[in-house]
Amino acid sequence: VRVYCDHAATTPLCDEAWQAMEPFLRERFGNASEPHWAGREARAGLTDARRRAAGALGCRARDIVFTGGGSEADNIAVLGRCGAAQGRVVSSPIEHPAVGRALAALAERGLEVVLAPVDAEGVLDLEALADLVRPGDRACFVIWANNVTGVVQPVSAIAELCAERGVPLHLDAVQAVAGVDVDLAALPGEVTIAVAAHKLGGPKGAGLLAGPGIGSLCPCLHGGGQERGLRPGTEDVAGAAACATVVERAQTAEAHRSLLRELRDQYESTLGERVEGVRFASAGAERLPGHSLTLLDGLRGDTLVALLDREGFAVAAGSACSSGASDPSHVLQAMGVDRERALGALRISLGDLSEPAHVPALVDAVERAVVPLRAAAAAL
Amino acid sequence: VTDFTLAGCIQAPDGDGAAGGSACGDRVRITLRVVGEQIVGARFGALACPAATAAAAWCATRAQGRPFLAAARLSVSDCLRDLELEAARADCALIALDALHAALGDALSRVALASAPERVVVAMSGGVDSAVALARTHASGADAVGLTMRLWIDPAAPDASRACCSPDAVRRARDLCHSLGLPHITLDGREAFRAAVVDPFVSAYAAGETPNPCTRCNGSYRLDAMVGAADALGAPVLATGHYARRVRRGDVALVARAADPAKDQSYMLARVRPAVIERLRFPLAADTKDAVRAEASSQGFAAAGVRESQDVCFLGGGDLRGFLVRHGFDDEAGDIVDETGAVLGHHAGAAAFTPGQRRGLGVAAAAPLYVLRTEPARGVVVVGGSERLQRGQVDLRETVLHLPLRRVEAKLRARSPAVGATIEPLTGPGRLRLLLDEPVSAIAPGQTAALYDADGAVVGSGIIDAG
Repeated sequence: VRVYCDHAATTPLCDEAWQAMEPFLRERFGNASEPHWAGREARAGLTDARRRAAGALGCRARDIVFTGGGSEADNIAVLGRCGAAQGRVVSSPIEHPAVGRALAALAERGLEVVLAPVDAEGVLDLEALADLVRPGDRACFVIWANNVTGVVQPVSAIAELCAERGVPLHLDAVQAVAGVDVDLAALPGEVTIAVAAHKLGGPKGAGLLAGPGIGSLCPCLHGGGQERGLRPGTEDVAGAAACATVVERAQTAEAHRSLLRELRDQYESTLGERVEGVRFASAGAERLPGHSLTLLDGLRGDTLVALLDREGFAVAAGSACSSGASDPSHVLQAMGVDRERALGALRISLGDLSEPAHVPALVDAVERAVVPLRAAAAAL
Repeated sequence: VTDFTLAGCIQAPDGDGAAGGSACGDRVRITLRVVGEQIVGARFGALACPAATAAAAWCATRAQGRPFLAAARLSVSDCLRDLELEAARADCALIALDALHAALGDALSRVALASAPERVVVAMSGGVDSAVALARTHASGADAVGLTMRLWIDPAAPDASRACCSPDAVRRARDLCHSLGLPHITLDGREAFRAAVVDPFVSAYAAGETPNPCTRCNGSYRLDAMVGAADALGAPVLATGHYARRVRRGDVALVARAADPAKDQSYMLARVRPAVIERLRFPLAADTKDAVRAEASSQGFAAAGVRESQDVCFLGGGDLRGFLVRHGFDDEAGDIVDETGAVLGHHAGAAAFTPGQRRGLGVAAAAPLYVLRTEPARGVVVVGGSERLQRGQVDLRETVLHLPLRRVEAKLRARSPAVGATIEPLTGPGRLRLLLDEPVSAIAPGQTAALYDADGAVVGSGIIDAG
């Protein structure tokens, strides 16, 4: 058995993405900045990719900056707003490290970073956020859909309150694009978002930064001035083409999302019936359709992952032992989940490779694996 | 690949060991059933990362059905190799191996291996001397088994994990045994040691004495416990890394000064009973420290580079006063007085002042002043001139004499030479008086007096009384 339930980690390249990028790898190999025929052929592809991505995300083509992935897009946004490490920013305690650690590094150099709390479901406390975000702040950084819990934040309200105060807003949308409608046109203010192609059936190492807030970012990388000077370097036209294609595909996959939601709900209801001591983090909040964070009492999530791997199931833990230090997920800690329970987290993320038959098989496998793990823990 | 067949615990086990719970929170427990020489049952419990869980299962699988001493050979490197774990996972495997070895040590009190005349249990502290003692015992062709006692260390100490008999020291000793293919047993002596050595240490200071915890530990706790372990392991003898000789006077086995007077540790063994000495062997009796260190280096022992500590082990590098205060010694500020009771100054706490001490008094006087005694009940430290420290006689309590001698050489503290003395009886059990051939300075009540015969054998000992 080989069942892949870790789409939040990465996804295989889809046919559409391969077809979109393939011509630019060999035939239309040119440097898109050159004036000759080879450059023109590549440039046409880049322009097309930019136009398609902008159409899918609801922004102007010039407000698309192709990057070398999601973390890079987040870092360009963080450094572009507060790279001088002066002033004040507001963020959340549940950010992906691409934002969280970037801000922490700047905080060491003097940036004031204020974190708005989340509730027990992992949803940002909007009242607290409204109190914390002040005119003059450099920016606000929020993860649109969380990579651990799958929780989708109320970004319209967040964008509004930032816009009212004139504070730029960056949303890490790396997980969100796969599962929710992203329409930048509907978000007021100086908004930017970060996207990674490989979470959507695209290649690793391709992503984009999008939104009307791009115009006011300060460049943090220096070179030939490509991508509005924000991401210099010879353009990866193949990556950009694939990225645009998978963003379009994800944003028109309503039926696929419904299927994933059904499968996820089926997984949670059957597992909840068959295994004691299980709860699902953020089950009361809006979540990505294929995403479930299962908290199992009396075991370690990373050890459960190892057992499920032996059965052929690729799933993720909410935390991992890195040579003698098991740290529970900072996201669960911020939600007030106690340490022991947080260490028993199992993340399931369904997607392109998921089939209806996977769910009962996965539930069976989890049910089987839990028995010896709990027996071993009960023997302590 | 973790085999969970042996997950669980044995009810009322013969050996029960747990480890972990600190840095990463992972925990492992191993329970054993031992019948005769065989471990007939082993089970593991784990709430741990995949590597530590797999290592726990490996420990149970490899221990079950094996002879007791074969299980005591199981090492971290065996585990990493069998499970094909990367070296970075050694800390994870270590949790499981610690639990297994704790269970083996716990089982020792319920194990009676058949008597094996060639077997030598080697007492290992984790230091260089016992490492060489082990290597020499092994090289001599004996069936060597390493034994380390884990002793209580002040948890607030700065070096709690590195001191002698700490977890690190236990692992170093175990690793050395395993690298030579030898079994290693860890005895958890923490609670018993605390009751037998640490509590009396604090009480002695509270009574104004200056105790010697090492002679007390060797004489009435540690070596008895290790000889008991040797009995359980079927070994007739226990080798240690002490610099001392074993001699015989008629039927009595005694400890005698080592060949190297600079490193002689016979004083530390002065309180050991002859029945225990009968069982001891000292492979380093004829050596110098430099030679031993060189031998350890040439064999690549990790212990060769370990810093030698002369301090009280359970202080773990911490200061004495802070330790005493943390452990219930009610140390209040008070007066520094002379023998007439005149107040000369003040101290922040009488604990840790010892007779003969000059530094730290903070009292200005025409002639140098020394601590004569402390009186914790009154909270005073009594000082006087150096001539007031001289004493020509000393009374001993808790005295043991192995030979009926009248003339001895008395060593009244660890770092001072022995002086000739005549024994005079006193009334009361275990009491006697030493008439010293020449006056001795700064005799501290609570210290051990070791009594030697003319050939350097310890023929008796006692505790110096306030008189």
